[in-house]
Amino acid sequence: MTVIFRRSLSVGFAALWLTASGVTQAETFKWAGTTDPQTMDPHATNSAPVLGFLNNVYEGLVRRNKEMKIEPALAESWEQIGSDGWRFNLREGVTFHDGSAFTADDVLFSYERASSEDSDVRSWFAPVDSVAVVDDYTIDFLTKAPNPLFPDSIANFMIMDRDWTTSNEAARPSREAENFATRNTNGTGAFTVTSRDPGVKTTLQPFDGWWDTLESNITEAVFTPIGESATGMAALLSGEIDFISPIPLQDVPRMKERDGFTVHEGVEARVLMFGFAHQADSLKFSDDLTGENPFKDVRVRQAAYQAINVDALIDKVMRGSAQPASQLVSSAMKGYSEAKSERLAYDPDAAMQLMKDAGYEDGFSFGLQCPNDRYINDEAICKAAASMFAKVGLNAKLTAMPVRNYWPELREDNFDMYLLGWSPGTFDAEHPIRFLAHTPNSEKKLGSWNFGDYSNARVDELLPMIQTELDEDTRQAMIDETTELLQQEIAYIPMYVQPLIWASKDTIELTQRTDNFFILRWVTVN
Amino acid sequence: MINAWLRWSRENELAYLFFRNPVAIVAAIIAILCIGGAVLSPWLAATDPYDIASLDIMDSLIPPAWSESGDARFFIGTDDQGRDLLSAILYGTRLSLLVGFLAITFASVLGVTVGLMAGYFGGRFDAIMMRIADIQLSLPAILTALLVDGIAKGLLPRGQHDNLMIVVLTVAIGLSLWVNFARTVRATTFVERNKEYVQSCEIMGMHPFRIMFTHILPNIMGPILVILTVDLAVAVLLEATLSFLGVGVPANQPSLGTLIRIGTEYMFSGEWWIVIFPSAMLILMIISINVLGDFLRDALNPRMR
Repeated sequence: MTVIFRRSLSVGFAALWLTASGVTQAETFKWAGTTDPQTMDPHATNSAPVLGFLNNVYEGLVRRNKEMKIEPALAESWEQIGSDGWRFNLREGVTFHDGSAFTADDVLFSYERASSEDSDVRSWFAPVDSVAVVDDYTIDFLTKAPNPLFPDSIANFMIMDRDWTTSNEAARPSREAENFATRNTNGTGAFTVTSRDPGVKTTLQPFDGWWDTLESNITEAVFTPIGESATGMAALLSGEIDFISPIPLQDVPRMKERDGFTVHEGVEARVLMFGFAHQADSLKFSDDLTGENPFKDVRVRQAAYQAINVDALIDKVMRGSAQPASQLVSSAMKGYSEAKSERLAYDPDAAMQLMKDAGYEDGFSFGLQCPNDRYINDEAICKAAASMFAKVGLNAKLTAMPVRNYWPELREDNFDMYLLGWSPGTFDAEHPIRFLAHTPNSEKKLGSWNFGDYSNARVDELLPMIQTELDEDTRQAMIDETTELLQQEIAYIPMYVQPLIWASKDTIELTQRTDNFFILRWVTVN
Repeated sequence: MINAWLRWSRENELAYLFFRNPVAIVAAIIAILCIGGAVLSPWLAATDPYDIASLDIMDSLIPPAWSESGDARFFIGTDDQGRDLLSAILYGTRLSLLVGFLAITFASVLGVTVGLMAGYFGGRFDAIMMRIADIQLSLPAILTALLVDGIAKGLLPRGQHDNLMIVVLTVAIGLSLWVNFARTVRATTFVERNKEYVQSCEIMGMHPFRIMFTHILPNIMGPILVILTVDLAVAVLLEATLSFLGVGVPANQPSLGTLIRIGTEYMFSGEWWIVIFPSAMLILMIISINVLGDFLRDALNPRMR
């Protein structure tokens, strides 16, 4: 009796002590974003919300620091071997969240998984010929040709544990359906996912066994997706959340005046553009055209280009905080084409003339697909563009939808024209050429986000040359040529570079990276 | 003329009660103004918000004309697309009311028919229909509407969806409101069923449907009228809710719900007019219709006087 009593008493005290210590030490950090990461599988979706979120949980061989420079992560060092390959010397003593050890075999497995048919990130490994495990802590990536940028290009290639993945029947990623890795994680990163309720709430905690020292003092982090920007603002102002990304542009001036909050502004690497159904034989959403696709005609594409008043969009919808874009990358990226930095002028009269020349003087209707929770003011941009299009006879039927429906729609080719934002993960102009401009080719892992099937033989020819060229000037000349081709053929309508606008309570210290990844291990709650 | 009017109102019980009830008069005036403005919107509105080619993004977010940076062309300002807000509200009210009226017609035809038959025939038909009604009642109206909307989205061909959205909304809202009619009509039909005039019709060998629609129905119009008014307000509100949630009318067509949805995005940034005016319009319209419904209920029910 007394024993039981004493024990329960001690348990009670322990519990009391735990709660008390919890009150003094726990730093719960609550943050919100517009988009919930669609999956917890680092190889299933190549999109910033997913990769950005999972960068807190999984790690790559290399990682980017606060200045976006490559630094060692799971690989302690790397060197070029011969002319066509890279050797990575792996860090010893690293464990996954479930306690199993990290070895070269896991890297090999992750490579096989991420470069498989089912993966959305396989184009990262297009230049790779083979991968060879040298010993437990050394692995070689042999490329088909010299590839100076290879380590830079795999900063988001996250390593999964072979045993955990295969024993849970998730040896291959699942893009559309679900598997175990869609909701569960087992990385080596600074945080573990302790609970996951897709679209509602995801909770993380620091990983005790992390190999690096944690800069952050948070003991628990809770992520909530809030699609409606006004709701998100209300949540931040009421103190319900500590941080939100992004905040609506219209709220920036007021937010700056308010006490207790900080606005973090920067330029994102993301270029917003319209894409076309280049290869479709007929428009899918037209009321008045059947059996023909005017967007096959470069004159119609140019008419659409010149119908858009980008300066007005930036001034009014983006409240002046965006920069016009002439190509698929922003001027901050490596390989930006200075020579081709002119945009076609906004000229509705010329656009109408082009429509007339192409035989569509009376205009036609078509479907414009647009996300409404992915980019800053995405729906407003599409609505404003639709009214500009209408002035030259391009009658856009706008459908705006949440991003979880949006990518599947685009993958199924359900669009005549669509809005896309692209931020090159490698910070290099080669990246969008590989993903958006090269003819889609699943065997070569190229053109995987080229939804409209744009295709140009010379661009396809130039891409491998750009990837292997070591001389900067020659490489730039090739990128310039590609950029010119894409501009001449109006493969896309690049419009503007999106700003980065985050807001937090001013008790939060954080680092804003230009790829819009929110890195939890740099967050300090004061 | 005026004397004749007064005489008529003295003789007509409903009119007499109405003119003695200032609240009802005010409500009626507001309702007539709202409905009239909506119906006449193509002639009253300065611009046509459906004509997206006429919009200029440079006119966006202009405050009401009486404020400092206002523009005389746009009396209560413009929204984020440069639409004249007053025109958008007039057209939006028209769309909201159109959906409301269509839905209430659908609901009342369905509900009254089911209710009459259930009350008249009784038995198994009554039991089955009323269990269906019970199931329907246990689902919130908004859920039914969302369900119908979701199914329609899945079934309709992609390009057609936007064009048929009004029909989908009508069915969605109508299906969630028919129960009110069915239950009330069934209950009153039960009472009428055993009255002598019905029995004499039956003895004369009249067809049951003729008895129901030409003899019973006119005698139970009172409660139906009350539900019609109250549920019209509910239907308009439901349309606004669905459009506010983004599952109603397409984003580029102004309805009160879509206008309010757009407005909420500008709530914290000082552009208050985009959310305030459409909301005020909706509130005024709903309250006035509801007050009229209340008045009708009291006036048509001898025990409430």
